[in-house]
Amino acid sequence: MPEQPFEPDRAIAGTGAGGAMDLATSEAQTLETTPGGPLGTGPAAKPRSLWSDAWRDLRRNPVFLVSALVILFLVVISLWPSLIASGSPLKCDLAKAQEGSQPGAPFGYDGQGCNVYTRTVYGARTSVTVGVCATLGVALLGSVLGGLAGFFGGFWDSVLSRITDVFFAIPVVLGGLVLLSVVTSNTVWPVIGFMVLLGWPQISRIARGSVITAKQNDYVQAARALGASNSRILLRHIAPNAVAPVIVVATIALGTYIALEATLSYLGVGLKPPSVSWGIDISAASPYIRNAPHALLWPSGALALTVLAFIMLGDAVRDALDPKLR
Amino acid sequence: MVDAVVEPILEVSGLVKHYPLTQGILIKKVIGAVKAVDGVDFTLNKGETLGIVGESGCGKSTVAKMLVNLERPTAGLIKYKGEDITRLGGRALKAVRRNIQMVFQDPYTSLNPRMTVGDIIGEPYEIHPEAAPKGDRRRRVQELLDVVGLNPEYINRYPHQFSGGQRQRIGIARGLALRPEVIVADEPVSALDVSVQAQVINLLDRLQNDFDLSYVFIAHDLSIVRHISDRVGVMYLGRIVEIGKDEEIYDHPTHPYTQALLSAVPVPDPEARERRERIILSGDVPSPTNIPSGCRFRTRCWKAQERCALEVPLLAVPAVFRLVPGPAAHDSACHFAEEKQVVPPEEPTDDLGNGGA
Amino acid sequence: MLLEVRDLHVEFRTRDGVAKAVNGVSYAVDAGETLAVLGESGSGKSVTAQAVMGILDMPPGRIGGGEILFRGRDLLKLKEEERRKIRGAEMAMIFQDALSALNPVLSVGDQLAEMFVVHRGMSKKDARAKAVELMDRVRIPGAAQRVRDYPHQFSGGMRQRIMIAMALALEPALIIADEPTTALDVTVQAQVMDLLAELQREYHMGLILITHDLGVVADVADRIAVMYAGRIVESAPVHDIYKAPAHPYTRGLLDSIPRLDQKGQELYAIKGLPPNLMNIPPGCAFNPRCPMAQDVCRTDEPPLYEVDRHRGSACHFWRECLNG
Repeated sequence: MPEQPFEPDRAIAGTGAGGAMDLATSEAQTLETTPGGPLGTGPAAKPRSLWSDAWRDLRRNPVFLVSALVILFLVVISLWPSLIASGSPLKCDLAKAQEGSQPGAPFGYDGQGCNVYTRTVYGARTSVTVGVCATLGVALLGSVLGGLAGFFGGFWDSVLSRITDVFFAIPVVLGGLVLLSVVTSNTVWPVIGFMVLLGWPQISRIARGSVITAKQNDYVQAARALGASNSRILLRHIAPNAVAPVIVVATIALGTYIALEATLSYLGVGLKPPSVSWGIDISAASPYIRNAPHALLWPSGALALTVLAFIMLGDAVRDALDPKLR
Repeated sequence: MVDAVVEPILEVSGLVKHYPLTQGILIKKVIGAVKAVDGVDFTLNKGETLGIVGESGCGKSTVAKMLVNLERPTAGLIKYKGEDITRLGGRALKAVRRNIQMVFQDPYTSLNPRMTVGDIIGEPYEIHPEAAPKGDRRRRVQELLDVVGLNPEYINRYPHQFSGGQRQRIGIARGLALRPEVIVADEPVSALDVSVQAQVINLLDRLQNDFDLSYVFIAHDLSIVRHISDRVGVMYLGRIVEIGKDEEIYDHPTHPYTQALLSAVPVPDPEARERRERIILSGDVPSPTNIPSGCRFRTRCWKAQERCALEVPLLAVPAVFRLVPGPAAHDSACHFAEEKQVVPPEEPTDDLGNGGA
Repeated sequence: MLLEVRDLHVEFRTRDGVAKAVNGVSYAVDAGETLAVLGESGSGKSVTAQAVMGILDMPPGRIGGGEILFRGRDLLKLKEEERRKIRGAEMAMIFQDALSALNPVLSVGDQLAEMFVVHRGMSKKDARAKAVELMDRVRIPGAAQRVRDYPHQFSGGMRQRIMIAMALALEPALIIADEPTTALDVTVQAQVMDLLAELQREYHMGLILITHDLGVVADVADRIAVMYAGRIVESAPVHDIYKAPAHPYTRGLLDSIPRLDQKGQELYAIKGLPPNLMNIPPGCAFNPRCPMAQDVCRTDEPPLYEVDRHRGSACHFWRECLNG
């Protein structure tokens, strides 16, 4: 006999929607024994919806508050780096190369004698822009295309699936070398465009899969039987139930995009000096890791913190959108 | 529940649903068809409950989906008050949908987990804004909760906070919101525990009287169907093989499949069981991609003869009964129909109390 | 006694608290006997069986106390290694969903043969021959040809037969069948149930039949144990229980089933819902739903009273219940 992973009866499985969640029926006269929490306080209670409940939940979630604060801070210094850093990130003095922490340069100097603190602060703009814009672009394009393909199925779904297969076959670095080498503009936009171009199939696959899963639920059929339009079914019934995996993968991918920008810059097809970005600094500092570890540590730390903040934000939002976890 | 005036509300004729089987990735080639429903006719009268029973794969759920326009029939007509609804679209379809609603089998997947109960039951009003003025909707939702026996204060809760039976009540409330005339219930209690099943069946019974509903009640459980139905149709491999009033089917079945089905029903009483003859069918239901010629039941039938392989039996009163009016004279698609009592008649009084130990 | 469960307690630790799934269950099965364990979802019937088989997920599950004596040995005191030897060889389980309990990428013949290769050290060829023999035994037509087929190529009833064949392979002394026919159609249900009963007689095994369906067990079980909220509320020979239940819950269950031979008006319905296992009512767990409940039921938990030598009822008022 094969041993099977075995589920205990539904009622016991904690979060499970078991028969034992004891909301009283009309037959049972009592109403008080409700472990469900503070919901449903009276007939006069305000109507609630998923989004208002999620927002209430988020405001009280410390994980959300901390990550939102970190992200807010990053956005502010991206917009106005001079608020917390004086001097230019491009003003370097070879004489100070690899020097450690000192007044005016709390993070020390890198191999070129540039102020690591100033460069880390100024690098935020590029890195955060690349990370956020590439993620948003990928998530939007991928989930719209994947979601529609999954929802409608048929011929265009097959076409889209084959197209994503083709994109998966393109090696990212090689693709970057080829495509970006023809670009002359030294801004972040070609880099972001390239990331969206190569990144959307990943999200599209996930979105397609989770839309197909959500589509098969009876509540979608129920809405259809009521006469709901396709857009209503997609937006009200499928999207909220299919968005969780997209959020998770997209926030994790955000870090990879920031790192990919570094790789491309290192290979000379991304941003070029005098642009400032964490990626450029990380790759520039890696040869001196033995002599000047601080030059690598600070931009890497900033990158890690940013990625962590977005992943935590994504997790908090995903959980807030799941009523079972309240 | 049968009123003096018998007025058909749904008339189904020649209903067919074939799902093509295809091969190929981009360019698809049809290599066959799953004949899920293969020629079904019945009428549903106003205020009546028509039970449809059959084993899994017999096409009963597909019939339900076509009745509520979730699937388009390959052929055939579904007339609602005389008008065919199978080819409707747009506004006309939406209007018909107000009048024919569905209750689903699985209370765990039929409610959107990310909507509050108020949103779920109120959604019909958002889709059909003319059904209730905006300011009145919340009150109506609470009224509906009350009607199905739930506390109106639960309006802001989410489905997972309810048990299976309560969720099924929410599903029923959603089905009632637009005050439909017909409710198609697809196995509405088969996912529920025994003690809760009875509550939901009683609720459906009560609502039928209060709201003057007509039910198409689809189930695999013959005892439940008997309890709730006025008329019963038995389906096998995409067709109705026998249909008639509830006593005609249960006490005077003439089709061998009905007889086998009835004899296989477990009876929670070892003694009643000993009085019963049991017919155990051999083999399995054939695949709906490859339906036997002639009578589709012949591969499992103990009466099958050559004629059964050659000639499709029609669903009509069999010739032997045509001249003798009586409960055996009802529609049965068998060349060799013969009455057979499978369920022994009820004992005068089966007193539970005096048995002792 | 082949298997004796004594005062078994099982709980699950979840995010919301501790769910007491099994609260002092005792039952016994002898060789050649069929015990039906009847209960609704959440009654603890499957959890008890999983504890007996030793396949309970721990954590979140935890055995809070009790003994499981199998041929006199307490299984709970054995090492995992020793229990694994007992599983399959001396006790086996049949699951509800045969499709997910069988490995989809191995032919059924390979899966059956594997039992003999692993446990009995047979050669591949001999094991394959045994597999065909077993499939014959559970009356799968054309066993010799179908032995190479994969699980999805069989119908639901046939797959359940294969599950039964797997359980029987090593001729265990005890078989636990967890809702073996629930997923099947009525006409197939009867076939599978008959087969199971026949094989049980032939091999003189102990059989524990877990089910929620009072109808299914009526003619195969010798005894019935009715569970509610993790306890056995009534235990009796099968004929007695159908004739005159000695617990109001059993009575309510029997009365709430629609009958094929009766067309009643309103069905009897047990009011309310099964209790939350994290918050089982004090006294008798059934008291909020019981039509006979008195004050004593809300305070004192009823022991399993002896109704006669063969039956017990955990109701303070079993006499009144028995007499209607």
